[in-house]
Amino acid sequence: MVASGSPPPDRRHQEFEALLLPALDAAWGTALRLTGNAGDAEDLLQDASLLAWRGFGSFEPGSNFRAWFFRILTNRYFSNWRKQKRAGTTVELEDAPELYLYTRAEELGLQRTPDPAGQLLSRLDVEAVEAALAALPDEFREVATLAFVQDLSYQEIADQMSIPVGTVRSRLHRGRRLLQRALWSVAEERGLLRGPVADSTGEP
Amino acid sequence: MPLPDRLDCEETFLRLDDYLDRELDAAERRLVEEHLATCDVCTAEYRFEAAVLEGLRERLRRVRLPAEVRVRLLSRLRNAAP
Repeated sequence: MVASGSPPPDRRHQEFEALLLPALDAAWGTALRLTGNAGDAEDLLQDASLLAWRGFGSFEPGSNFRAWFFRILTNRYFSNWRKQKRAGTTVELEDAPELYLYTRAEELGLQRTPDPAGQLLSRLDVEAVEAALAALPDEFREVATLAFVQDLSYQEIADQMSIPVGTVRSRLHRGRRLLQRALWSVAEERGLLRGPVADSTGEP
Repeated sequence: MPLPDRLDCEETFLRLDDYLDRELDAAERRLVEEHLATCDVCTAEYRFEAAVLEGLRERLRRVRLPAEVRVRLLSRLRNAAP
């Protein structure tokens, strides 16, 4: 799609866009999960894209543009953007028990089926998962985003966020429990858990 | 702390998150897998957690940049000086 109201891209812009455009869906996903809403995600993505454009001269042709751009995006979020827009939003949250969904699935009778996780997941759409992640406090949502969406290791997340690896580990472990509980709450609120449970053959 | 020769259910469970996140070293990973191979209860828990995690990952990655956001982004980029 051509951007209306914008001049045709010159050769350097074309080179940049050819690398940027294939990365934009995933970058949008990361920006959306990090910020928690579409308006802030657009601001972050624009900031990161403009920074990348201005720094395009330092990008080594043939190296991994996507990794380079995602580092700019997450650095921008953690070093500037988050401090300005989200300072002081940490909230205390009661911990969630281990195996939260496993236990809830057992109560629903799903553990009698051949694929209890599949049964549960079939009731959870993208919107429910997005809402559950967005409900997490910043520090848990951020590590979950970098681990689950960007597939970064504990060490890579620690480097991006400038925090100890042990902190990443504990936030991610606790964040996973909180996410499971939030997911269950969202699913209950939206009535996604109603309906027949499949029997042992997997048929409803 | 030296590793035990084998893990019981509790010791396995304590390592389950790191195992799911592919953060255990080879020796601990092997111990977890040896326990899972002999314990139906832990295997059921592990399979459930792994499947849920994969389902969440897949759903969180299923996203497309809205067309209007793309248009605004490209417009700003093309008007930006190098």
